[in-house]
Amino acid sequence: MNDSDIEPLIPDEGEVGFVEYQDFVSEEPFRFAAGGSIPELRLRYETYGHLNAAKDNAILICHALSGDHHCAGVHGIEERKQGWWNFMVGPGKPIDTTRYFVICSNVLGGCQGSSGPGSIHPETGKPYNLDFPKLTVRDMVKAQALLIDSFGIDRLHAVIGGSMGGMQTLQWVIDFPGRVGRYIALACGARHTAQAIAFNDTGRQAIISDPAWKQGSYDPQDGPDQGLAVARMMAHITYLSDVGMESKFGRRRRNADESKEHFDVEFEVESYLRYQGASFVTRFDANTYLYLTKALDRFDLHSPESLDATLRPVTAPGLVVGFTSDWLYPPQGNREIVEALLRVGKHATYAELAMDFGHDSFLVRAPRLYELIHRFLSR
Amino acid sequence: MSPTDKKRQADFQIIARWVNEGERVLDLGCGRGVLLEYLKQKKSIYGVGVDIDFDKILSCVKRGVPAYQGDIRVILATFPDASFDRVIFSRTVEQLEEPDAVIAEGLRVGRRVTVGFANRGFWVNRVNAFLRGRRTVNEVYPKPWYESLPTNPFSVAEFEDFCHARRIIIENRICLSGDWRSECSVLPNLMAGYAIYDLSSSA
Repeated sequence: MNDSDIEPLIPDEGEVGFVEYQDFVSEEPFRFAAGGSIPELRLRYETYGHLNAAKDNAILICHALSGDHHCAGVHGIEERKQGWWNFMVGPGKPIDTTRYFVICSNVLGGCQGSSGPGSIHPETGKPYNLDFPKLTVRDMVKAQALLIDSFGIDRLHAVIGGSMGGMQTLQWVIDFPGRVGRYIALACGARHTAQAIAFNDTGRQAIISDPAWKQGSYDPQDGPDQGLAVARMMAHITYLSDVGMESKFGRRRRNADESKEHFDVEFEVESYLRYQGASFVTRFDANTYLYLTKALDRFDLHSPESLDATLRPVTAPGLVVGFTSDWLYPPQGNREIVEALLRVGKHATYAELAMDFGHDSFLVRAPRLYELIHRFLSR
Repeated sequence: MSPTDKKRQADFQIIARWVNEGERVLDLGCGRGVLLEYLKQKKSIYGVGVDIDFDKILSCVKRGVPAYQGDIRVILATFPDASFDRVIFSRTVEQLEEPDAVIAEGLRVGRRVTVGFANRGFWVNRVNAFLRGRRTVNEVYPKPWYESLPTNPFSVAEFEDFCHARRIIIENRICLSGDWRSECSVLPNLMAGYAIYDLSSSA
């Protein structure tokens, strides 16, 4: 059947260009859902595009575990690293900065400028470390809501996020249903599977058992780099797929020279993962890793009641996207959210993309993903 | 609208007659979401589409029709009894693996079930089979067999036998002639090109 009414997009794309981060500071004490508080809250964020006079064109992007507020553009001539979702955010792109005012903040508990275990307690002058209160996804969202308040924005046009960002997105529409016009949650789930918790805990144990961790009170210049690098290496495997790794690395060897140490880097995949681990420790904090993974493990929309009951307050139309090769947050866990939303009579769509990049598929520029987000936002 | 689209949308007006204002409608095998969009405009329904194909879901997104990409049986199993006022199978039943079980599930999840299908007993199909030894190719089914999905066509008589055997109540039936537009009431198994049923369960 000649059944396709989808014209291919001919994108007329531009770039966000140079961007600078800002800091939002709230001097009110910030109280955490599981108890405890911090005397002031700081969130580092970036914005792209312009907030209109009606203040109704803002889109909040929530980042994943190892992401940050820098999701589009570049910081300068010297620092030309593009934001983590640069292909999705910009003039003429699906999250179109000529139409929308895009906000992305480093998550509460993070280590890229927002309040987290590595921040200095304003009263003691020392880092919080493990005195930082127990963190939940609900706290992350509550902090973002304060940032949104600071712009005088009542209602966001959309909230969008993948992975941990997807969970924040769901929490947004549950906790602040009146403040979100629509939402997109990608590669996420209503709660962690036993397997996801198991991987996270193995990562945490790698950090905790590194003697340099020192019960969390390490010197930032001399932290548990070994433990954190191993945690990252292992987690990184869960973000890829068997097929993806096979086609990217196979059994390709790094050096023809086998005279080196018996256990030195031999295969290409080892080199890749070690590089991932080594570069991660230069930009990430071990205690933040512990706090964020724990918050994700505890996230559970099936509790205290059923998933259906938790999702009942949602009012905005939503799109949930699963990826066939994602074995960390498998399609089933994404589908389940939409099944529950439909049971309670919500406007929700589930789409599933056949991509080989595993959990990280949502970070890969693919025409169909691009088109899906574009269409959902421009409706 | 092209003649092909007109024919494809043969059952829209009839289904719209059977749907009440503001009802909850589940369209299984929803394709591009055109029927749900139509029902939303005419009857302000809350509609959900189901289709296995990503590109179809993309079209539904474009139309603002909520849709679920996945297997019909999987999604049906997740709904409690009588979750929807109406469950629609518009040219879907002939492609189901276990039509009997899926229709039974449809009747559990929906208070009413609509089934629309091209009648295999239509005289043109008989002539094509008898004289030419070939299946009918038309605007809605334009492709040769080797480019088509596996399909399990059935006739008005066969469908009604099934309903009787399963004690499914036929609340309404409308048969359309070969143009899929004008209604035909005489000898439907021979004269109807297309048939639409409004069903309920006896339970």
